[in-house]
Formats: sequence, structure tokens, C-alpha cells
Amino acid sequence: MTRFALSSSPDTASGRRRRATIRATDLALLAGVAALVACAGPQSALDPAGRGAERIAELFWWMTAGTVVVWAAVMALAFYVSTRRREPGPRAPGVLIVGGGVVLPVLVLTALLIWGLALLPSLLAGVDAEPTLFVTGRQFWWEVVYRTSDGRVVPLANELRLPVGRPAVLQLDSHDVIHSLWIPALAGKVDMIPGRVTRLTLEPSRTGVFRGLCAEYCGLSHAHMAFVVAVTEEHEFAEWLAHQAEPASAPASPLAARGQELLLAHGCGACHTIRGTLADGDVGPDLTHVGGRLSIAAGTLSSDPRAFQRWIEAPEQVKPGVHMPAFAMLPQADREALAAYLEGLK
Amino acid sequence: MTDESRPPRENLWLLTAAPFIWLAHLLLSYITGAVWCAKIAGRGGSLGAARAAIAVYTLLALAGLALVGWRAMRRRRPVEPGPAREYDAPGDRDRFLGRTTLLLTGLSALAVVYAALVALFIRSCR
Amino acid sequence: MSEPSPEQVGAEQAARLLKAWETPTGWRYWSAVNNSAVGVWYTASSFFFFLFAGVLALMMRTQLAVPDNDLLSADLYNQAFTVHGSVMMFLFAIPIFEAIAVLLLPQMLGARDLPFPRLSAFGFWCFMLGGIFLCGSIFFDAAPRGGWFMYPPLTSKYQPGIGADMWLLGFSFIEVAAIAAAVELIVGTLKCRPPGMRINLVPLYAWYTLVAAAMVLFAFPPLIAGSMLLEVERAFGWPFFDPAGGGDPLLWQHLFWLFGHPEVYIIFLPSVALVAMMVPTFARRPVVGYDWIVLSAIGTGFLSFGLWVHHMYTTGLPGVSLGLFSAASTAVAIPTGVQLFCFLATILMGRVTRSTPMLFMFGSLAIFVLGGLTGVMVAMAPFDFQAHDSFFVVAHFHYTLFGGAVFPIIAGFYYYYPLVGNKMLSERLGRLAFWLMFIGFNVAFLPMHLTGLRGMPRRVFTYPAAAGLGGLNLVSTIGAFILAAGVAVIVWDLVRPRSREPLAPRNPWDAGTLEWVQEMPGKPWGIRSIPQIDSRYPLWDQPDFLRNIDEGRFYLPDAEEGLRETLVTSVVDARPLFCQRLPGPSFVTPLAALTTGGFFILGTFKLWSLALASLVAALLVFVFWLWTGTARVPEKQEKDVGCGLTLPLYASGSSSIGWWGVFITMLADFTAYVCLVFGYFFFWTVHADFPPAPVQGPGVLWPGLAALLLVGAWSATWLARRWNRRDRGRACHLGLLGGAGLAALGGAALVAGPLATGLDPTSHAYPAIVWLLVIWTAAHVGIGAIMHLYCSARRLAGHMTPRHDADLGNVVLYWHFTVLTALLTVAVIAGFPLLA
Repeated sequence: MTRFALSSSPDTASGRRRRATIRATDLALLAGVAALVACAGPQSALDPAGRGAERIAELFWWMTAGTVVVWAAVMALAFYVSTRRREPGPRAPGVLIVGGGVVLPVLVLTALLIWGLALLPSLLAGVDAEPTLFVTGRQFWWEVVYRTSDGRVVPLANELRLPVGRPAVLQLDSHDVIHSLWIPALAGKVDMIPGRVTRLTLEPSRTGVFRGLCAEYCGLSHAHMAFVVAVTEEHEFAEWLAHQAEPASAPASPLAARGQELLLAHGCGACHTIRGTLADGDVGPDLTHVGGRLSIAAGTLSSDPRAFQRWIEAPEQVKPGVHMPAFAMLPQADREALAAYLEGLK
Repeated sequence: MTDESRPPRENLWLLTAAPFIWLAHLLLSYITGAVWCAKIAGRGGSLGAARAAIAVYTLLALAGLALVGWRAMRRRRPVEPGPAREYDAPGDRDRFLGRTTLLLTGLSALAVVYAALVALFIRSCR
Repeated sequence: MSEPSPEQVGAEQAARLLKAWETPTGWRYWSAVNNSAVGVWYTASSFFFFLFAGVLALMMRTQLAVPDNDLLSADLYNQAFTVHGSVMMFLFAIPIFEAIAVLLLPQMLGARDLPFPRLSAFGFWCFMLGGIFLCGSIFFDAAPRGGWFMYPPLTSKYQPGIGADMWLLGFSFIEVAAIAAAVELIVGTLKCRPPGMRINLVPLYAWYTLVAAAMVLFAFPPLIAGSMLLEVERAFGWPFFDPAGGGDPLLWQHLFWLFGHPEVYIIFLPSVALVAMMVPTFARRPVVGYDWIVLSAIGTGFLSFGLWVHHMYTTGLPGVSLGLFSAASTAVAIPTGVQLFCFLATILMGRVTRSTPMLFMFGSLAIFVLGGLTGVMVAMAPFDFQAHDSFFVVAHFHYTLFGGAVFPIIAGFYYYYPLVGNKMLSERLGRLAFWLMFIGFNVAFLPMHLTGLRGMPRRVFTYPAAAGLGGLNLVSTIGAFILAAGVAVIVWDLVRPRSREPLAPRNPWDAGTLEWVQEMPGKPWGIRSIPQIDSRYPLWDQPDFLRNIDEGRFYLPDAEEGLRETLVTSVVDARPLFCQRLPGPSFVTPLAALTTGGFFILGTFKLWSLALASLVAALLVFVFWLWTGTARVPEKQEKDVGCGLTLPLYASGSSSIGWWGVFITMLADFTAYVCLVFGYFFFWTVHADFPPAPVQGPGVLWPGLAALLLVGAWSATWLARRWNRRDRGRACHLGLLGGAGLAALGGAALVAGPLATGLDPTSHAYPAIVWLLVIWTAAHVGIGAIMHLYCSARRLAGHMTPRHDADLGNVVLYWHFTVLTALLTVAVIAGFPLLA
């Protein structure tokens, strides 16, 4: 709106002045918007959607403000001392060293340390609570197991769904090398270390779809070890979990049915489990409801039939170092059938 | 030997005494906390006795630092009054060592207090 | 018949001195050991490695310029960042500190050379050999790919190629060289100062070097110990880090960061040291707050050892551990800041003159302060939970390293170049390089803070377009190339032909410190005569200083015997103690490096028998080196060193520099041993029952017997020295041979313990660590026995007399450490299971 008014204003001296002032406010606004845009994103720690991330973001903004102020002050001081005109008094260096080098830093750092220490217990809270969600890091995907309140165990992979407003305690470990589970929008990261068990509490404060990733370098496809986190309302979550606990649905079309036959015939079941079928391997991700996921190949591809085909044909190209063999030797029609079956596993 | 008013080795070791006290305090506190949580209290257990131990270490460390600081103060005092900017006198060397030791004592005391703050805020092993 | 004129005498003296210090020519040039030669080789090669690793960085930046890029394969990218980080740390940052110190420290201290010239040459050759080996690997697709901190189990079971072995063995080799240089620098600073340079007159550069070198001594051994554990796990399957065998990957992280954090300050302090020398020159006045700066150096040095866990905030350690290290990480900001304010105060009180070095120093301040402040941010454990392992951290440490090391080092290049090249570097090119580097650096790294917090983890070879990180990464890539352009300008300025330019004037910056005494062009003797010092800035404060030096009126103006000599003085007050004869050029140093390197390089390829043969060859070369080059009995007891002072030519025990060298080396060695003991107790904390139930410990009988025998060997050594002093030759030989025999028996008894109880080191971490402690101790005992035999032979050959017993004094010192190691080992492996 401002821009529109601006262009119609007459080109007079006062108009030019007004334009200048408007541009200044405009610029400030733009900067504000730019800052918001710069911080937004599906995996941004500065666009928090969870209690932990919110607290840390607040700490971050305060510290950033402090950093900018201190940095500017030191630069101004450096400029002054190197260009000064007046002869400094004999006490000046003492004041500079003791005041600037000792007293001020001690005050600021003590306050900051106390803040950090006071915040720490709340971020580690829940570590001793009973976990409901178990995530195991593997090269290069995530094995996810939900434990429902009635004690059922639901094995899943590469996707988390969480109810909004309720803390979830995750128990983390690793099958092979060290990984680190990081959902920047929800909370800080926690490492997954073979032979050790670590915990992480997530407490989403708004619904949405976020991206999680592996933060600790874990080998060839570290860059492709991600996952999707969907935060939903409590009831949606409950429905979803109940559905996930069910065995796989039967193939809905002749093509999908052929896909199921091919899947079992080519030995996919040696590595993957599809509950309700003969496939019961435990090397690769559980595929029972893979078609209902928001992504496949650990957050690397979308979950449409083309993506499934591409994955089956050349997983190594999508994800170097993956353990799954390529099935490029299958005829195109077979790969299509397989993809149709998998995509139909909603 | 006339210009050596004190045996040299003692001088330099005193310079490192304060930071060594800090290091001992930090390592003891860390080891106590870690062993307590790993072997006795378990994850989520209370830090109880370990916090008390850290408090005791802190008192001991501060007492030690006070002692070092006191010795440094005594050394810092000019032995005989002389021209302020004359570097080349044993007294100057003593003043320098004394002042630096004193500054290091201050820094170490601050770091010890910072470490002790942890025991105030953290109460459990999680 | 007339007396020769003073001019004639001076010219003859100078000719003799020149002859003694002459740098060999032709192919023999490479046998040089003098600091002016070795220091230049060392600096040039570490700067070359900097350029090499920089090219790798540009490759990575190009790959990351756009999302889903496929310019580099994942595998090549992983090798690139591993080699980039490792080379920058181990082949640039640490070596260039030691290189510059080797080059400058003797000049600043008015010494002719460092106390162990051949040791620095040996260090250089090890560094060169290891560096070429490691950098070359990437051209054969064989480079390490575990990240520069090489976390197992990724680097143990999951990367079977030779890359990881190359990293572990190659860098251990280079670390040994770094420790050798550190020993040299410590002894040089403490014992080779000019007469009168009391501890409060020492140039600040020497203080910083002393602290940084002492840090190397305690920081590198943990990594050497860790590398040994990891390599033994990789090569022989001893499960130190494999949870399936009772190991724990976190042990590596503790050992690595116990090295890794001090390392950052080992890089930072010597670079600030350059600033501390340059600021007073350009401010035209002495530094303000000398004792505050010394506080800063020592305080930072100590505190940096209490920070290592802040690299492990996200590993699920208890809150109390996080808090303690958060506290120390906060405290370290204070000494780090104090020195900067001292420099600002110096500039305030002086009159600053504009120059390229000053420009780089201001740039360094702007960059380093920001890096320091983001450092305080990541010291807060809660914020680190987000920032850790993200590009925020990448931005943070590049700010600290560029601001805290690269910019000061470049400032140092511009400042000190005349001492090496005898000409000035170009002010115009310098300014151009500065602005390119400063702008390029900030364009490249400032956005990375945001990139990281927007969710970009480090060490990813690509990222999806949907993550919304493309714009920021493109900006960073553009900045990286601008930065590279700036570096290219500097390289051009360093190598461009300048034969037409005039020589630089002597002391071109009108500085006050001793290194600027050097004539243009420089002479290999370092300094014409070693001056008496009574000020921090003798060139400013001491009247007729240059003339007195040049006319040879101070100490050691002559080399009557044609030998290289320097003065050794006392630690605190720099009283002259004796005149030290220094060794001249020799090919024994590259040979020793080659044979030692052979062990590590052949080990990489698992050619263990050839590797052992190379090790034996190395041992023989070392014995030859020691036999021909050290502790020689002088032709006379004393010598007139000038200024009416007569000093002894030989010292043994704690007044000799050899003793200090052994003492300091053994401190580092003992630190590595303590890290292994730490490993034992670390396993105890992670296991509910330790030793694990069915496994029997090594028992008490054999270890106890070993302890007795080794105490016997130690006493025999001590007695041998006593008897030698009393000129009881036969008793002395008896003590030495008896000591060797007892040592051999003791070592055997030690090994017999776990052997008799059938401990299998591949079965579990417990037997593995017990075996390792035993082998470590036994190896030390074995070397101790060789020393006994060496001393006995020296005495037979007349190289050791009752009066000249430096060798035996050093061996006794070695045995003090060895018997302590042995008793601790026995207490741990035999005693602790009784308690636990």
C-alpha cells in the first residue's frame, strides 16, 4: 500500500523528502520481514515449535543482542584508541584493562552462566521418565518403535508423529555408528551412541510438519539421513497410532497384487517387514504402512510411485552407501508393480 | 648467587600453584560427579552427597588459593624502594612474579567459584 | 712488531665464527640443522599445507554452492573435509607455530640457535614425511574419511580401508615431531636466554611460546594414547571402543577432546604472541600490562585443559558434568579478553603508525572478538544443544581460527619477512590482500551462523532444495572465492621475483626487541655477540647496543675452536651457567626421521614385520646419533666467553640442558601413560562388574615380583651413578649390567602375569587394557635396559668419566619415571581388582 501511494506522489521537494522518510521506515519493515523469513523454515532452530527450542531461541536472541553490543563496543574502542587526538591520562590504561578486560566481562559472564545453569535442568527434565518412543539410529535411517499406553509395541521407520502440547520421552540408541537426532524446530540434539542409551524430551507447542536430521557425521550418506516429524492434534495422533498398529492392508488393485507377489518372490522380505504378510526381515525399515508416510528413504524422497520406482531401481544413486541392493535388473513393469504395491500400503 | 634472593625454582612453581589448585578442583568435582552418577546414584538419582563433596572441595580450594595469594602479596611488596621503571633489579623480578601470581590466584578463584555454582543449580544426575 | 688492531681482531673473530656457523651448500644443504635453515623449511612447508587444505575447502564450497549438487561424490567430499580439517590442524596450525618459533625464538633471545638443533631438524623431517604421505593419500582415493575427530565406531569397524590407519599412524608420527619441537622450545626459553634477561624481561613472544609448548606436552599425549588404542583395535581387534566387546566409543571422545580443546589454544596463543611483538613496535612504546598479558597466557593455557567436555554436551552426560565444563568454558573468556585490552591500552598510550601488519591485526581483532563471543554462546550447554555439529559451530571456529591465527600469522609474515628474505613485502599488495581476505572471509562465514541455526548440520555433502538453505550457501561460496583471491595475492607477494628491489634497512620497523639486531642480509651465526640485557626493549633503551654487538664486545664473539657454541643461563635470572657446544650439520636427522617414519608408514599397510625392522633400524640410528652427537667430553674444562667471564664447557644432572630435555619428554610420555590408566578406570565406571565376572585378573604373584625386580633395576641405576662419581669403575659397570638384567627379568615377569592367567585381549576391553598397560610398561623397561648397556659402553669407550656423567644422569632420571610407571601399573592391574 505504501509503495502504491509513493509512486503517485508528485515529484516535488517535499515529496522527495517524504519519499525518503517512507523509504527508511519501509526498509526497517523490510529488514524485519527479511529477518523473519530468514529464520523461518522446516528445520530452523529460530522458528521454534517446541518448548525446548523456544527456551533456547530466547537464550539465543539475548546472547546475540549482547554479542552485537559487545562487538560494536570493542570495535568502537579500537577505532578510538588508534585515532585519538587527546593525550590520555596516566590512569587510562589501568581503567581500560581492569574495567574492560575484567570487571565488565566478569559481570556479564556470571549473569550468563547463571542463566545457562538455571536453564539446564529443565532441558534435561524427563530424562528419568518412562519413554514411550524408541529410536535407533542405523546407517542411514531411523528405526522407530512406539509403545502405546496399553503396552502394545508398534514398529515403524523414518517418521515421527507427535501430539501437540504433550511431552514425549524418546529413548535413543544406535545399531552401528554414532548418530545424533536433531529436530531443530522442536529441541536440541542428542547423540545416539552404540552401547549407550540416551534420552530426549520433545514437547511440541504447535502443529505442523518439520524436518529432523542426523547431526553427527555417520558415514557416506550422512547427508541423506533425515526424517519427517508431523505434529498433530491429540485425537489425530491417536487415530494415526491405532492405524499404524494394524497389519498392512491388502493390495487394492491387480497391479498392486502383482507387486506384492514380486516383493515376496524377490526376497524383499529377508530385510523388510510388512506386518500381515510373509515379509519379516529386520535389516531394513518396516514397510507395513510405508505408503502413508510423508517421505521415503529417510527423508530423501517424497512418497509417490515415481519415487518408489526410482528407489527400487537405483538406491545407490539416491543414497550412496545404502545397504539395499539395486533392482534395476527387473523389467520396468515389475518395478512399477512393486511401486504401486508399496505406495498403496497406506 | 648474590642477585638470587630466593631459590629460582620455588618462584616459578608458585606461579603455577593457583591454576593447579583450580585444575584439581575441577577434576575432583567432575570425577566425583561422574562416578557418583555412574556407580552409585544411577541416572535420575539425587546428586546429594556429590554436591556436598563439591562444596568441601570448593572450601579447600579457596583456602589453598588464599594461601597462595597471601604469599604472592608478600612477595609483591617491594623489598627496597627504588625507581619505578628500573627493570633490572631482583626486586623487580620479585614484584613481577608476585603480581602475576596474585592475578592468577584471582582468576583461579573466579573459576573455582564458577564451578561451585554448578552444585547450586544441578541437583540430580540427569 | 705491532699489535693487531681491534678491527683486525674483530674481522678474524667474525671469519672464524662464520666458518663455524656456515650453512652447507650443494646437496649437503639438506643436512643443515641451524634454526635459520630449518625454520624457513618448516614455515614454508606448513604454509604450503595451508594452501593445499585451502584448495580442498574451495572444492567443498563449490559442491555446496547449490542444493543437490553432484560435482563431488559423497565419498570424495567426506575425504575432502577430513583431510581439510586434519591438515589445517596438524600440518598447518601447530607446525607453523613451532616453525615460526624455531625461526624467531633464538633471535629474540639473542641465542645462536636452539639447544637441540638436530632435534628440530628431526622434527621437521618427520613432519615433512608424514605430511606428504597424508596429503598424497587423497590422490589415490585412500584418504581418511572419518572427519578430523575420527569418532569410532565409524572409524573402527565401519571404515575398513587404510584411510583411518593412515590418519592414526601418520598423525601420531607428526605429533611425536611436535612434542620434540615443544621440548626444544621450552628448554630454549628457560635456559638459553641472554645474560641478564630476567624472567620479567623476557619478550612476550617467549612467554606465549613457553605456555603453548608446555600445552603441547600435555595435550598431545592423550591423542597419541587414543590413537594407539584405536589403531590396536583396528589392527588386532582389541575392543577398546566396540560396545560388543565391553568397549565404549565415548572413551575416544574424552581422549580426543582432552587433546582437541587445548589444541585450539595452542594455535591461538603463539599467534597472539606475534601480535604482542608487533603492537609495541607500531605504537612506538613498550607494551602496557606486561604482567596482565603473562597472566593471560598462563591462565588461558591452564583453563583450556578444563574445557574438553564442552565438545560432548550432546552425548547424554549427566547435567553436573555439563555444568562444570560450561563454567570453565565461561571462565576462559576472561584471560582471553584481558590480553586484547592490554593491546588496545598500548595503542591508546602510543602513537599508532599505519602499516599492513597493523591492518591485519585490526582485522584479526574484528574477527576474533566475534569468534570469541560466539564461543561464549556455545559454551552455554543449552544453546550448544542446538548449535553443536551445525554450521553455526563451523562459523564459530573459523572466526576464532582466522581471527586468532591466520590473520596474525599473515601480519607476522609482513612484519618479519625482512628477517628471512632481507627485502620488504609490498605494502600495496598487502593492503589489497587484506581487503580481499577480510571481506571474503566475512561474506563466507558470517552467513554460516544462520545456515547452521536454520538446520544445516556440518559434514553433509549436499542438502535438499526444500530445506531453504541454497541462498545462504551460495553467498558463502562466493565469499570463499574472494577470500582465496586474497590468499593468492599474498602467495604472489611472497614468491614474486624481487632481485631488483633494494635490501631492507636494518631494523626496518624501528622495533625494540632483539630479533631486529640482525644485519641485512642476515648472517648464519644469528648474532655477532650475545648481549647483556637489562630492558624489555634493549634496542630502544640500551645505549650503543647495536655497536657493542657488532663489534663483538659482548659474550662469545669468537669461535676459537671452530665449534658452534651458545650460552646456557639460569631459569629465573638468566645468570650465565655454562657454554654449550651445539652440533653441526648432519644427515643423521633425516635418516632418523625416515626410519621412524618407516615404522608408521609400513604399519599403515599392515606390513608389521617390515615395520618392526624399520623400528629397529630407527633405534640403531638414534644410538648412533646419541653416541656421536651428544654429551661429548670437552677438550678443556672451561673457556673464556668474553666480558671477562669464564664458564665451564660441560654440565650434567639438572643443570645440563640434556637433563631438562629428558625431564620434559618424560612428562609428555607419562601423560600418555596416565591416559591409558584413565582408560582402565573409565571402563570401570561403565561396567557394573569390572573385571568382568568370569575373567581372572593377572593375579598378584607375577606383577608383585615384577615390581620388586624393577625397583631393584632402578636402585641399581642410581647406585651405578653414585659409584661412577666415586670413580669405582667396576662397581659402576656392575650396577649398570645388573640393572639391565633386573630390568629384563622384571619386564618378563610383568608380561608373565596376564600370560599365565590366559587373558585374551581380543575377548573384552578389560584384558585388552590390562595387556596394553603391561606392554607399555614393558617397552619402557626394555628401553631402560638398552640405556644401561649404552652407559656401560660409553664408560668403556671413555666418553663418560666420573666428572662427565651427563648420560648416566639422564638415564637415572628416565628410570625415576619408569619405576613410577611400573609401580602404578602393578597397583592398577594387580591391586585394584582386590579393592573393587
